[in-house]
Amino acid sequence: MSNLVFSSVNKIFGSGSSRYVALKNIDFEANSGELILVVGPSGSGKTTFLTIAGGLQTPTSGNVKLNNKTITKLNKREQTQLRLHKIGFVLQSYNLVPFLSVKEQFDLVDKVKKNNASAQELDQLLEDLDIVSLKEKYPNQLSGGQKQRVAIARALYTDPEYILADEPTAALDTERSSEVMRLLKELAHKRNKVIIVVTHDMRLKNNADKIYQIIDGKMSLISENL
Amino acid sequence: MFLAIKEIWYEKLRYSLVMALIFLVSYLLIILTGLSSGLANLNKSAVNEWGAKTIVLDKDSEGRLAQSFLSNQTIKSTNGTALSQYSSIVKSKKGLKENSTIIAVPKNSFVYNNLIVLNGKNFTSNGTALVSDIFKKNGFKIGDTLYLNNSTVKLRIVGFTPHATLSATPVVYTSFTTIRPLNRGTINAILTVKSKIRQPKNAMVLSVEQFINKLPGYSAQKTTFNFMIGFLYIIIFIVISIFLYILTIQKLPNYGVLKAQGIPTKFLTLNTVSQSLIISIIGVLAAILLGFATTILIPSEVPIVINAFNIVSTSIGVILMSLFGSIIPIYQIAKVDPYKVIGG
Repeated sequence: MSNLVFSSVNKIFGSGSSRYVALKNIDFEANSGELILVVGPSGSGKTTFLTIAGGLQTPTSGNVKLNNKTITKLNKREQTQLRLHKIGFVLQSYNLVPFLSVKEQFDLVDKVKKNNASAQELDQLLEDLDIVSLKEKYPNQLSGGQKQRVAIARALYTDPEYILADEPTAALDTERSSEVMRLLKELAHKRNKVIIVVTHDMRLKNNADKIYQIIDGKMSLISENL
Repeated sequence: MFLAIKEIWYEKLRYSLVMALIFLVSYLLIILTGLSSGLANLNKSAVNEWGAKTIVLDKDSEGRLAQSFLSNQTIKSTNGTALSQYSSIVKSKKGLKENSTIIAVPKNSFVYNNLIVLNGKNFTSNGTALVSDIFKKNGFKIGDTLYLNNSTVKLRIVGFTPHATLSATPVVYTSFTTIRPLNRGTINAILTVKSKIRQPKNAMVLSVEQFINKLPGYSAQKTTFNFMIGFLYIIIFIVISIFLYILTIQKLPNYGVLKAQGIPTKFLTLNTVSQSLIISIIGVLAAILLGFATTILIPSEVPIVINAFNIVSTSIGVILMSLFGSIIPIYQIAKVDPYKVIGG
């Protein structure tokens, strides 16, 4: 069983008069099979939270454990390996390499990590996401929704235990947003993944198992649909 | 390499343009290097053929063969091969003319024995000459008589020799007796095969390299070519740097996301190095092909030498400059922080 635990995490940027506290004493836990929504206004600390969860930043104080292993003490190389093997990122933009076709986006992953999904599994994944016909297309030939679905497939290709998504629906209309969230929920429940989505879009709340809110760096659980 | 090839294929026009630029600059480098070697050979090839290691000249000659007049005392005290030189325009009966350097050396000396005979034979008797194959290319034949300008001295061509130019003029080898009416028996230099010899009184001892560097115009010409060649290498460095830097800056958000997704920095930087290598190798290969085609098509009067050494050194130079050109983009990729790309 996978789990991500934040214990008394603080993140402070700058010092003196430019000192800014982005996260204040965060305690948080996410387990397998959960789709967690982290909401809050712009600048509240949502993305800082997500990047610390993904090992892209280290907290100023406190501890972050992934499967009971402290990730805050890992060096850069170990953090890169952790992200490659355990975490899938889905971001608002720049998810796809512009000069690679959809199929080649997955070939790129094969170049740096072995034992990814087989060709049949990839086809199934693309079919589930309704993008199997787009394999030979380049990112500039795809719509926003198609790009996000490819990004999700790309994140799932390495079969990560955690999927961290930053505003994955920002570029999508309501219908496409709901579609992406339904898909993420299905992945959490059927494939037993830990999925954390940070967003300021409250339209997504119906799909979440838990909803946390961050305001001025303070996190609180505001809803639990278990 | 995977990303490098995919990107070059996707951005064909953009990469073709920079490859074309590297090709043109590399071609110019090959031509300039070839001309530099060719002109250097025109100045010095005869000296290299002599096979000497040191040259004794008059101490006031400034290292110039034509200005060196050795005393009998120096000649007697130095163990080596004496050499006389005289510059003259030579003509044939048919009206062919050639500005040439006449060199007299003793028969059966090491210099005489080192001369390669391409056609005919070496000079043996007075009034005969072994001449540079440039004479042959310009229409002279074995048996032709050479008339020296403003002189009654005549020479009969008995053979042709390759690599026989000195200060950009073809050399005519003959005996001392033949040119005595012209130079009154002056000995200009003594050549030895020893690397170090005792310096005779009133004389200077130069290594062959020092002697060549003192040939009229040789150093100035070499420096000019080296300056142009060096500048072209700098241009290649700047072109590759700017091109890859701009492309990298455009792709930094993608690199940030790829890093966030766990793609190692080394993989991404190797991609940039590979791109730089591919651009330079394709550019330089095309330049080499055109360089060889040029040597075939260019008139034989143009002294261009494109040999394996020039090709290999130019190729290594271009590739090294391209690799240096990828240093700044590599630094950009290495320092891109995925967190800053994602925001927060």
